Amino acid sequence: MLSVLHCKTMQQLDAPFLIDFFHLAGLRLDEAREMLCVLDGAIGDGDHGSSMAGGFAAINDALRLSAQADPASVMRIAAQAFLAEVGATVGPLYATGLLEAGKRLQGKRLQLCELDLVLSGIADGIRRRGQADPGDKTMLDVWHSAALSAQRAGPDIAELAQAVDATARQAADSTRGMMAARGRAARLQERTIGHLDPGAASAAIVIGALCDAAKARVA
Amino acid sequence: MSGPGRRPMRDASQARPPIHFGDDPLLWASWLYYQEGMTQGAIADVMKASRPTVNAYLADARARGIVNIALSTDHMRSVSLARAFEEHFGLDSCLVVPTTGGARTLIERLGNAGAGLVPRLVHSGDTVAISWGRTMLALALATRMDDVSDVTVVQATGGTIARIDYAPEACASRLADNIGARFVPLSAPAILSSRAARDLMMGEAVIAQQLAHLDKLNCVFFGASSLRPSSTIHASGFFESVFQQHDFYDQAVGSLVGQFIDAQGNPVSGPLSDRFIGLSLDALRRIPTRVLIAGGVDKMQPILAALRGGFVSTLVIDSDTAEAILRVLDLRPVHELSSMKPDPNAVRPSTLIRDSIKKFINEPRNSVIEAMEGALAAFPDHLQAIDGATRALGARRSPVAGKVGIVIGGGAGHEPGFLGYVGAGLADAVAIGNVFASPPPDRVLSCTRFADQGNGVLYLYGNYTGDVMNFDMAAELAEAEGIRTRTVRTTDDIASSAFEDRDARRGTAGGIFTIKVAGAASAQMAPLDECERLARKANAACHTLGVALEPCALPETRRPSFVLDAQSVEFGVGIHGEPGVLRQDMAPADRIVDQVCDQLFAAMDLREGQRVAVLVNSLGGTPMLELLILNRRVRQRLAARGADVHLTLLGHYCTALDMVGASVTLMAVDEELAALLDAPCDGFAWQRAGLGTGS
Repeated sequence: MLSVLHCKTMQQLDAPFLIDFFHLAGLRLDEAREMLCVLDGAIGDGDHGSSMAGGFAAINDALRLSAQADPASVMRIAAQAFLAEVGATVGPLYATGLLEAGKRLQGKRLQLCELDLVLSGIADGIRRRGQADPGDKTMLDVWHSAALSAQRAGPDIAELAQAVDATARQAADSTRGMMAARGRAARLQERTIGHLDPGAASAAIVIGALCDAAKARVA
Repeated sequence: MSGPGRRPMRDASQARPPIHFGDDPLLWASWLYYQEGMTQGAIADVMKASRPTVNAYLADARARGIVNIALSTDHMRSVSLARAFEEHFGLDSCLVVPTTGGARTLIERLGNAGAGLVPRLVHSGDTVAISWGRTMLALALATRMDDVSDVTVVQATGGTIARIDYAPEACASRLADNIGARFVPLSAPAILSSRAARDLMMGEAVIAQQLAHLDKLNCVFFGASSLRPSSTIHASGFFESVFQQHDFYDQAVGSLVGQFIDAQGNPVSGPLSDRFIGLSLDALRRIPTRVLIAGGVDKMQPILAALRGGFVSTLVIDSDTAEAILRVLDLRPVHELSSMKPDPNAVRPSTLIRDSIKKFINEPRNSVIEAMEGALAAFPDHLQAIDGATRALGARRSPVAGKVGIVIGGGAGHEPGFLGYVGAGLADAVAIGNVFASPPPDRVLSCTRFADQGNGVLYLYGNYTGDVMNFDMAAELAEAEGIRTRTVRTTDDIASSAFEDRDARRGTAGGIFTIKVAGAASAQMAPLDECERLARKANAACHTLGVALEPCALPETRRPSFVLDAQSVEFGVGIHGEPGVLRQDMAPADRIVDQVCDQLFAAMDLREGQRVAVLVNSLGGTPMLELLILNRRVRQRLAARGADVHLTLLGHYCTALDMVGASVTLMAVDEELAALLDAPCDGFAWQRAGLGTGS
């Protein structure tokens, strides 16, 4: 893990940053709603775009109503709002991931270049709840790769964001070559090969929003 | 010769063809040649024509399309796939074997195909290496060559301590034996305990001498291993500690010659890299002839990575895996040969394919809430909103004191599932999610509180990842409030049984019977244990198979959930618009029912004298008329098997929005289950006499 001293700028990983991130992710998921539903329809049941966009809209509604000063509370409220609205498969997964990330932010004053804490918290939470492994053609493939990429990145925030974003996109794309081992798609076995996993695609969108929010802070 | 518009006339001196050839000498000649297998000379005798005339008839028959010469589709597919690979990856050659067919396993067929290449690739005086694994052993065992001399076969990596018959030594020595070559082992482990140990080992004169052979290789045969838990690399114990080191190798998609590569074919280095003895990946790339023999869709990623990394000059692969790779690359097989078969576009009728479906909706994302408001208005005697929520609905008659609560639920889109099964003698409450999406835990918890009368609550829902997580979280929350819960997940859909066990199956229409049985038991004041037992028993007795004629469309997308052309039906569909497991040509209703019955009868081991409950369920878009036609044949088949029908339900019971299609559920019933199915009940979708409906 990176220490505070290594950060190149003194940007904080604070509540306003996370609120910006959720806002941006919400906008992009809403734009991608139909694309994600179509992706999901090919190998699943077609609800993924609605679930993700609806979930992030609920997060943003909840955050708008609360004036939270600390990042851990923002994550906790986001988790509760997402789960209460969505259910589905992504509800428990993202709620557990966001809660886990919130725990890791609890009581700390963090620098923006310690963004890997957020990514690895979400990745670990998703992995624990969903019991998937990397390579199973799920959203975890993207979260896991992005978290590792963030852990390995240097102290420059713009470079870190660039690297994490690129890794996430690549990881999402590489799910095309995988055979689904989890969720409803697993029943289709090799018929899933060649299809981009919708959970992986939306994970790359969320991570892209996180990276862009970080870049905006140092621009 | 004759022009396209003019048929050659039969010379008056020639024999007349038999009547069924319609006085057409071309057809007669073609029949004798292709069907009877006669020589042109013999045909000339029969037809009393000259040989050149017969020859001309045959050529003309082909030109006019009387004779179509077609390679068998399997073989043609293999050739066109192989050419696509050669072209795209710049391979010297590629050989594609059919994935299925014949008595031999895929590994044996790959090994055999590879063995067929050995005489072309290995020449006298060559030094050849071979890696290890099941496919390599199959190759070594199938290879036979006795016309080469001075060939040396070297083991490509050090050995392993695992007791496997496809170890590096075994593969190399077998190959050497079978081609009369000299065998050079590598008398060292493939992975040493440390870098220092490896350096020490490589310094030993014997080892150094053996390794020197790897520098002068003309040809190497190797396999690819995936990292999936069932792969050779785990089974063999080759790397005992790979999984403790997963994070070092998280970019790896597979391994070649015992070393990891990423999706682009770059070597992935990690703690094992400098402890390895054998042919390095760099050295592998420099060998003139590099033959990868691998197949099976689970190996698709490592094969693709090996191709991208330039590790392969000749590839032996199976057709399904080859097709999957082309799909990933979005390439099409070379179609030069396709002129020999009809163009599929040419025969396709010009039917309109709708890509936008009209629906009675307002704002799409409000569809579920609006529908539930409509349901509350329509069925006030059956349903009430719990705590004002429209997606947590309870039975109008508040639960009887002391009764075990039954809570059901799932995504919307299955109407009348599952709110139609809330009521006396059925479930006490239903939690409803978005379309095809599980309800969240707090909604399930509201239902749980509503249904709990102090003696526990039974959760009944279809076995889907999302529902399992949300209901399990609700169960934890309920337990924290002191409410006992039990869970029975319905698993009646048999479409997935070929590769999954019963517990992994999904729940479809058969869940209705399970809700009925559990609801009846709880209404008779059975305790929680007993309700759970009966629900499990009912679920185990239910078997369902669905068939779709058209996909469904979600309110949000208003697009077909998958594409099904005019001539196809999809077997094994669920209730979420997801594609099924098998696509087949459209057939008459009776033939489709026959296929469904064959599978259901086998899955439930249906015997003479067995009593069954039947549910012929519309998936949404199929009308009653067709359900009745389906039921007719179901009954004929049951009668022929000697099974007795105890009860038939027929209609819209558990749907997938507007999917055109139907499912058939058969439930094997004994006295106990029959009595519970017969018990009175009062949900708006299932009513049985014995209870009034008034409030």
